[in-house]
Amino acid sequence: MSTTEFASHGWWERYKETVNEDPEMEVRGHDKFDTNFYIEIGDERFLIEMDGGKVEEVVPNPALNNRWEFGVEGDRETWEEFVAETPPAFNHEIIASNYRAAVRNEENRLELTGDNKKIFQNLRAFQRALDLMREAHNDGGGS
Amino acid sequence: MSAEEIEAVDEVTGRYVTVDIGGVEHRVYFEENGPEDGIPLLCQHTAGCNNQEWREVLRDEEITDEFRVIAYDLPYHGKSAPPTSQEWWEEDYSMTGEEFAERIVAIADALELEDPIYMGCSMGGNVSLELADWYPERFRAIIGLEAGAHSPGFYIDWLDHPEVNTTEVNAYSCWGLMAPQGPEHARRETMYHYEQGANGVFKGDLYYYSVDHDYRDKLSGIDASETPLYAINGEYDYLTTPEDARDIAEGVGEGATAMEMADIGHFPMSENPTLFNAYLKEILADVTGERDEALPDTITPEDVGVEVEKVKAGAVSEEAD
Repeated sequence: MSTTEFASHGWWERYKETVNEDPEMEVRGHDKFDTNFYIEIGDERFLIEMDGGKVEEVVPNPALNNRWEFGVEGDRETWEEFVAETPPAFNHEIIASNYRAAVRNEENRLELTGDNKKIFQNLRAFQRALDLMREAHNDGGGS
Repeated sequence: MSAEEIEAVDEVTGRYVTVDIGGVEHRVYFEENGPEDGIPLLCQHTAGCNNQEWREVLRDEEITDEFRVIAYDLPYHGKSAPPTSQEWWEEDYSMTGEEFAERIVAIADALELEDPIYMGCSMGGNVSLELADWYPERFRAIIGLEAGAHSPGFYIDWLDHPEVNTTEVNAYSCWGLMAPQGPEHARRETMYHYEQGANGVFKGDLYYYSVDHDYRDKLSGIDASETPLYAINGEYDYLTTPEDARDIAEGVGEGATAMEMADIGHFPMSENPTLFNAYLKEILADVTGERDEALPDTITPEDVGVEVEKVKAGAVSEEAD
């Protein structure tokens, strides 16, 4: 388990490093994954600014001057399940969690928001970026 | 020296059979292993995929000692190319329950299988209900893996869209259907198989899966008293949950059995072959009557002597206690 609290500044710094050193992101995201997305954890929102498959910056509390195509929203407990080394069923991956929320109307799931076309155009790189939250959280032990 | 005599050559063989489906000839590819007089175990792949998903069932010596395992590619999938007599490129591929069940029975007929066990996963699991309803006399038993009476919400336009990398999206929209307990190489290979599907076929199969198939009000019409029906779903399957399997068994009544598989998801046979094959042997023993006790409500790795962490790390399960 992480010694740096989930979604703290230090945690995001390690996340940035994890994504930027990930060989699969190089292969799957190529250098074309430039789409910004946000992560909402309870009342906190973080904008992940992507540039060429790398996390350029994680911006807390993005506002009017920022732009993004899509995001993922969930409460803190759900996100903590998502990043657990062995996450529980249905909160173990974004499409799984979103399906249980959007189609089956379940609470305590992660939900996708924004431009669905952009989500599917960037699906694998975006999904990998989310899975790497687990890897960063567990010092490389997850994903 | 022939291939059969070379030790390094796998015993699984692949051949083609000509199948008449509704008056149209299809050249259907299938792989098989096991004794010619073994109990035929006919395996149906998932939507948009192909028979490669079954390779570790085909290679399991304990299973193929008793069963003649046959895994085919449904027309338009894998090596079963579209029929040469049809101008298939002029219309969207789309499949209904009637067409799906007819194709499965036609393949069993073309191979002249006597009292086969049918086993299918995902859309192949859902169609176990149509088969049990319409063709029960054709099968010795029907096993639906990851089966549901209704599985809405997966007929998605983005899976066949000119501005989307559908090769990647068709595969990775399924990534979360698997359990994290499976070995990485097996989960990655499952996605690799998905990346081989033809454009539009996954989506067309999902028309059956998420739109056409709805057995919620028809379960009581299925008579499973002669041909047993199994609904076996993985803990991590978010589309058709273990609860959906229980609903099937309850709705059908006599002859129907539900079981939850712990630590596994929607692609059991390919995402975690070691664990699934151990589970499958219990199911097959129930079909043949070799198992004394009823199958449990939930089967776990401990029940079948598989150490999940070892399997995940790539160790061979048979070494587990």
